[in-house]
Amino acid sequence: MSSHREAPEISKDPVADSTDLYAFVSPDKPGTVTLIANYIPLQEPSGGPNFYEFGDDVRYEIHIDNNGDSRADISFQFRFTTEVVTPETFLYNTGPITSLSSPNWNRRQSYSVSVASGNGPGRNIASGLTCPPCNIGPLSTPDYAALAAAATHDIGSGITVFAGQRAEAFYVDLGSIFDLGNLRPFQTANVFGKTVFNKNAPGVNATNHLNVHSIAIQVPITALARTSKPVIGVWTTASRQRVRFWDADHGKNVDSGPFRQVSRLANPMVNEVLIPMGKKDQWNSLPPADDKLFASYFASPGFSGLLPTLYPEVFPNLNALNKSGKPRADIEAIFLTGLPTGIVPGFTNLTGPIQADMLRLNTSIPPATSKLSTLGVVGGDLAGFPNGRRPIDDVVTIELRALAGLTYPLVDKTFTPDAAAKAVTDGLDGTSVANPPAGHFPYLGTPYDGYRNPS
Amino acid sequence: MSHQDAKRTSDADSPSRRLTRRSLLQGAATAGAAGLAVTAMGAAASPALAATSRSSAPEQSAAEQPAPKQPASAQSQDHHEHAGPIMVHVRDARTGNIEVFSGTSQTQLRDKDLAARIARALA
Repeated sequence: MSSHREAPEISKDPVADSTDLYAFVSPDKPGTVTLIANYIPLQEPSGGPNFYEFGDDVRYEIHIDNNGDSRADISFQFRFTTEVVTPETFLYNTGPITSLSSPNWNRRQSYSVSVASGNGPGRNIASGLTCPPCNIGPLSTPDYAALAAAATHDIGSGITVFAGQRAEAFYVDLGSIFDLGNLRPFQTANVFGKTVFNKNAPGVNATNHLNVHSIAIQVPITALARTSKPVIGVWTTASRQRVRFWDADHGKNVDSGPFRQVSRLANPMVNEVLIPMGKKDQWNSLPPADDKLFASYFASPGFSGLLPTLYPEVFPNLNALNKSGKPRADIEAIFLTGLPTGIVPGFTNLTGPIQADMLRLNTSIPPATSKLSTLGVVGGDLAGFPNGRRPIDDVVTIELRALAGLTYPLVDKTFTPDAAAKAVTDGLDGTSVANPPAGHFPYLGTPYDGYRNPS
Repeated sequence: MSHQDAKRTSDADSPSRRLTRRSLLQGAATAGAAGLAVTAMGAAASPALAATSRSSAPEQSAAEQPAPKQPASAQSQDHHEHAGPIMVHVRDARTGNIEVFSGTSQTQLRDKDLAARIARALA
């Protein structure tokens, strides 16, 4: 998964578990950047009556570095408050929810937005912003699109925010990847798969018909990027207070102490795939500026080492590269520093020499129109991943191919990628998502409702 | 888009106004200065404890900062702030290393006697 349940500790705390982060120049408002941080992974739509919601006890943040030091220059902070209108009923709603003020909606959330400079305190810029309900079904939420539209808030100064349930846009064949890397389109070549399967198969989107909770904010580029430095680094964090105490007398948790980071996400699948199991929890607790501690896992990715073993004789050139001991400078650049000018014609998202996992967006590159490719920069579309990330980007295929050696010629033109490096995929694309992203804020698709998607 | 649910606290809400990094963060810098002032007042007005350091981070970003060193008495103002419980964590009874939590603050004490008394209370 991009970052769903990616580390042992955070997998037990889904409310604070970041799943995906998106940062892109808004296609319908190119003077703005849209940042989307998703939390609460793998939501089964019918999971009520206590449907999914943000944590009142979690501080969610989206950070922006705009001077290349890999530290936050601007942080947007989001805090949620849950209200139960009628405690005597067990129901989430007692009738159709036709508006955000519906008396039938029993359990609802609102939130505040603050902005902080660097590591300073936050300044509240909006409060009392209503989240939409979860998408229950045609009787309870008969016009979900209208509810979501009403929960899209213009908070002034050109800033728009939304926080609530959306359809999962990230597509991945989890079942095959976690079954010993047995990519279905190539399973007859897998060292284990070839003993079980006699033909290849199409990919299966494990996240289809599942929801997430999104925090989306659209901000004028002038408020984020410096005029002389159009590249910004973006990451999201969730923090909890240091102490939690179960107040048995009142049947609730009590939190105390300063907030400390428990989850972090920027580029997809970094903590998931590149960071080893024994360090994933530590990685989640640290800022990007400390990522030098983990740099060796980018220079020598474990997954790249596994591919020639899982697919014998399919990746001979990658195998030779692995055995050479040369650092994967392409992977380091893509994830930790950004690509400098001169590597890909007309493109850079370099933030500087500091190694830090940030989603790097060159805000001077306009949204794609004619050359739109879900393979992003690898596919000739400079507005896509790893130039930030859009909901449509096929990050699984891009990263599979990069780790298979496809991008190594960017730093060593003498290297010839294996033929398989250009073809490897989990067999999915944008059509694998039933409720695909939309072309307008908050961009992610309408969440799947529980009635039509009961399991 | 709905405006009705938003209680704006920004004083720069004109949609037509060009939002800059400076105007976005202008108020945040003011809030930071106020936070420092409160800390200093607390330090001047409180009785002493043994060696302490305090981290009061109600709005800190990303929890990246080390706990700022404060005079021993810096936490006493919190007697007036503790709406919730005070939680005590004896990290090491042998050295007297104690962490005290309340609200969004944390104070670190080094008090062998207090640690010993707490440990005896559990016996």
